[in-house]
Amino acid sequence: MSSTQSFRLASESGVGSQIDCDKPLSFIFNGKSYPGYAGDTLASALLANGVDVVNRSFKYSRPRGIVAAGAEEPNAIVQLGSSEAAQVPNVRATQQTLFDGLTARSTNGWPDAQRDMMGLIGKLGGPFMPVGFYYKTFKAPASMWLTYEKYIRKAAGLGRAPTESDPDIYDHMNRHCEVLVIGAGPAGLMAALAAASSGVRVILCDEQPVFGGSLLDSAETIDGMAAFDWALDAVERLAALENVTLLPRTTANGYFDHNFVTLHERRTEHLGDTAPTLDGRRQPRSRLHRIRARHVVLASGAHERPLVYAGNDVPGNLVAGALSTYIRRYAVRPGKRLVLSTTNDYAYRTALDWQNAGGEVVAVADARANPDGELVERAKAAGIRIISGSAVVEATSDRKGHRVNGARVAAIDIEGFRVSGEVELLNCDTVATSGGYSPVVHLAAHTGVRPVWRDDILGFVPGQTIAAFEGFGVVGAAAGVYAAAGVFESAVTQVKRALASDGIDAEEVQIPIVETFREGAAVAMYQVPHDKPTMRAPKQFVDLQNDVTAAAIELATKEGFESIEHVKRYTAMGFGTDQGKLGNINGMAITARCLGQTIPQTGTTVFRPNYTPVNFGAIVGRHCRELFDPERYTAMHQWHVEHGAKFEDVGQWKRPWYYPQKRRERADGKLESMHEAVVRECRAVREKVGVLDASTLGKIDIQGPDAREFLGRIYTNGWEKLAVGKARYGLMCKDDGMVMDDGVTTCLADNHFLMTTTTGGAAAILEWLELWHQTEWPELEVYFTSVTDHWATMTLTGPEARNLLSELTDIDLDRDSFKFMEWREGIVAGVPARVYRISFTGELSFEVNVQANYAMQVWEALFDHGEKYGLTPYGTETMHVLRAEKGFIIVGQDTDGSMTPEDLGMHWCVGYNKPYSWIGKRALTRSDTRREDRKQLVGLKPLEANVVLEEGAQIVLDPKQAIPMRMVGHVTSSYYSPTLEHGFALAVVKGGHKRLGEKVYLPMPDGVTHVAEVVGSIFYDPKGQRQNI
Amino acid sequence: MPRFAYFDPHPAQAVTTQSPLHHFVASASGEGSAVALREHAFLDHLILRGEPAVMIDVVQSVLGLTLPTEPQTLVLGDAGSLQWLSPDEWLLIVAAGDGFRLQRALCEALGKSHFSIVDVSGGQTVLELHGECAVAVLMKSTVYDVDPGRFPVGKGVTSVFAKATAVIRRVGEERWELIVRRSFADYCLRWLLDAGEEYGIDYQPAKARVASARKSASNMEAVS
Repeated sequence: MSSTQSFRLASESGVGSQIDCDKPLSFIFNGKSYPGYAGDTLASALLANGVDVVNRSFKYSRPRGIVAAGAEEPNAIVQLGSSEAAQVPNVRATQQTLFDGLTARSTNGWPDAQRDMMGLIGKLGGPFMPVGFYYKTFKAPASMWLTYEKYIRKAAGLGRAPTESDPDIYDHMNRHCEVLVIGAGPAGLMAALAAASSGVRVILCDEQPVFGGSLLDSAETIDGMAAFDWALDAVERLAALENVTLLPRTTANGYFDHNFVTLHERRTEHLGDTAPTLDGRRQPRSRLHRIRARHVVLASGAHERPLVYAGNDVPGNLVAGALSTYIRRYAVRPGKRLVLSTTNDYAYRTALDWQNAGGEVVAVADARANPDGELVERAKAAGIRIISGSAVVEATSDRKGHRVNGARVAAIDIEGFRVSGEVELLNCDTVATSGGYSPVVHLAAHTGVRPVWRDDILGFVPGQTIAAFEGFGVVGAAAGVYAAAGVFESAVTQVKRALASDGIDAEEVQIPIVETFREGAAVAMYQVPHDKPTMRAPKQFVDLQNDVTAAAIELATKEGFESIEHVKRYTAMGFGTDQGKLGNINGMAITARCLGQTIPQTGTTVFRPNYTPVNFGAIVGRHCRELFDPERYTAMHQWHVEHGAKFEDVGQWKRPWYYPQKRRERADGKLESMHEAVVRECRAVREKVGVLDASTLGKIDIQGPDAREFLGRIYTNGWEKLAVGKARYGLMCKDDGMVMDDGVTTCLADNHFLMTTTTGGAAAILEWLELWHQTEWPELEVYFTSVTDHWATMTLTGPEARNLLSELTDIDLDRDSFKFMEWREGIVAGVPARVYRISFTGELSFEVNVQANYAMQVWEALFDHGEKYGLTPYGTETMHVLRAEKGFIIVGQDTDGSMTPEDLGMHWCVGYNKPYSWIGKRALTRSDTRREDRKQLVGLKPLEANVVLEEGAQIVLDPKQAIPMRMVGHVTSSYYSPTLEHGFALAVVKGGHKRLGEKVYLPMPDGVTHVAEVVGSIFYDPKGQRQNI
Repeated sequence: MPRFAYFDPHPAQAVTTQSPLHHFVASASGEGSAVALREHAFLDHLILRGEPAVMIDVVQSVLGLTLPTEPQTLVLGDAGSLQWLSPDEWLLIVAAGDGFRLQRALCEALGKSHFSIVDVSGGQTVLELHGECAVAVLMKSTVYDVDPGRFPVGKGVTSVFAKATAVIRRVGEERWELIVRRSFADYCLRWLLDAGEEYGIDYQPAKARVASARKSASNMEAVS
């Protein structure tokens, strides 16, 4: 045994169930190396080495030590990580399993927790930093907050995030079960055994590495076995069952509607600060289990409640049960001389454990006048001095405040809240207290139901749950049942009831036989009175993590904060990662005392997820980096990548935006700018031939005898006369008469059409068609099937398109036999294809569609033959310029859900005389949609040729008017046209169709006002001759 | 007048043929792989739509398959697999090159009834997960309950897969299939390789397709 682990008990003592003395480890804390053992927590190893000060407090920078042994620890919050990338803030030393080489620092304290400069400020500032200090001091002047904040943040906080990328991976796992048991103490183990016996799927989780909970610290026997051995045996029995999943090191952090529970499993954090690889494979460092459970059994146990007394934050003050845990599990007795202050029988176990471990129990101060329970008798028999009707009113410390050196014990009058006798100073180095137990009701509170106070157990228990949490039950200490026999009973009863509600008869489960004690009644005490009034007594801490004192709560109530929620926010009690695990009940009790009311009248604040901090990695899982969001690719995507395309996101699709080339005229090999590339691509299409990957357009196959009728009802224009072999542009309105989508629909055969939609609208339009068919017109015989991904689409466009395509196809491309707005089938580059003569550029165009697996055959062939015609691939930016020159709208860019077909100047596309009504028709006859001053689509031509108006820029008629100006519209699309050698725009302007030739003004934020002329929306080839060549 | 314009998409001669996953290489899994991932590329996929009463006999006589009318089920037979998608919608997956012939045969047998048969072969692909950790990989990927005790062989559902959608179906004791859309296939494969790394996922790309001879002389087939 290492000589430096001076607080470690000898292995002959028979304690230390969780550590392996044959496996020594070393770790670094605040730059100093210490020894420990496998199985230790960082906290137990620090205590074994006599490290008293583990942190500095948040607000006053006081030295702080370890107080508890589990998730409720408020002080020992450390920063973990031996490298920058592996930094983890906010780790509780009590929950961190020790591994060789573990490196940790205190989160607070500068330069470190032992020699703290901020402490000086804390001491100076202490009296001057009352509750609400920040609110009061730094609020005014508001402009100074940014200055103050820098210093406050430096001084405070609970660690820091790494500045380098996390090398680890994380994931999620979805699980379903009939019974989820949260907590593997006696209640949880029993519940799991009872549920598992019926064969249903059971998940049992516990935040600790070893299952057993309080049984691991217990001296009791169960079924004639030591409690520890019974737990071990129960776990073995559960592990052997196929229907049981055991998740140690797994914290249930959030409980959500319909029994959805998130469990955070720390898979490798006990092995290293980054996850080790296994057979060369990365393992997830932690995993978030997303559980859907039929029943949730909450067996989260209880936290022992410390008492509130002066000097209770000095290292050496602990909750009583934590001492039993450190002695029994880790063979650590973190002191020599103990004074115990209690309100109940259970804490006597700690006195006995301390004495059995060779420590001296100086005295037990029992707040009760006549403690007489069986455990009290045992302590008496062991020769322990019991001072009844008294309590530790103050822990004294050395000059630096680094360790307890005495306890002031006095007779007290609980009812009168006063010290009623002489104060006796007892020499000791450790003060342990127990004010009873607080059931861990956090998860129950996540349901939105406030806990209910029970006077008989002096604690809050979960309230009645609501319907969304049907199947929820609480057992054992979490329900306020503490005696072992009752704990087992409650677990079995709850599981039986749960399964019976599903019609499952649980197997008869033997409830273990346990020792029963005669228990003396506990007394209610939270804050211990001091010989000075609270406001003048040395600080009595309620919430150690947030540095909230009893005096602060008293002051808050005096300042008029009466609601417990307001007291919480004013004092910061129960904030942040602590969530009030140790302090909340005491704080409520003090609030109640100050306001002269009961605890139930005062009520409790609500606990929120997460129960303990969850690392971001686990929340994100593998939804990060390249898997953050799906990227949808077309069949030609690799080609685009290889040819240097820049991509634009259109929905989840990656579409080529433009293809920057190396500039020919420059030797430096720099790529073209977007402007240069778009000019080149536009010219290629207008003068030669370009090709666009248009595969992303939505495509819906429509079949059935009523397909034509259906189209007539869904589109604004007519479809009765569209012949087989022909295609037509269609406009869709929502029922409010506003344009929602557009596209070309083709008649393939008498009962067979192919609809195209916008890229972004594909899925929504299919749903729209199904909605109207299924809910309004089920009598129409028609079916819809998405074929978007099936077809790869290549748009060949430009004056040379026919010449190029004719080299590759057997289709007769003659202008008179294959007319504009027709389609043909044939072979293109050896692949069967459907070719559509439709145009979104205004040029002669052929859209070649082939089954996507064969797309690259055709695409490559086009380029093999295309060089002599100047074939140029172009992207969406060029497509936008070319279509805008033609005045073709893009739904969602030139429309915003408030534009009617008429607003867009598309009267030609509305069939008011169709035989059957259609979606939007009625709305289009309303007075509002017929107004003449609606915003209408027009073209804008800036007076200066090189001006490209800003999209979204507001339009005014009088630039000299006072601000706020009357805005009459805005720019929807704006580009530079290489063909026109002029900037141009599409815009919506109130009454715009009657303003052609007028000048409008666009005042910009930089003070410049652009002037533009309102023109028609077609800038190029207004007669549409080029697409018909 | 022809009612439907069916279309044989397969070329007569060998041409460049690419699955949506053609750019992925084999994973370096080596020893101790607990899950294998394969693509069954280039199969023919047809979406059948119609009332069960209309479809059931024709499907039996033309395909030799019993139409699955129970939600979330699939049948496997010599002709291929037939997956329930919705009360009037099924996915038929057959050998490469069989789709066009079956499309016409089904159409002919269905006569004047109301139905639709749509070729979606280019729009999706089949991935197979096989091995003891296949379920664990699926649990990381979908919220659906894929516990083998609750998801018998012959069950198939359309559900969330990562942030995409997939048909997830169990075709054997430790054999599962995912049917994913072409445009999402890259994302889904990356996801599976990442989720399966822990289990040493073994991925081998699909073999390049050898083009089969066209089944019909003309690609333009109108059926009346």
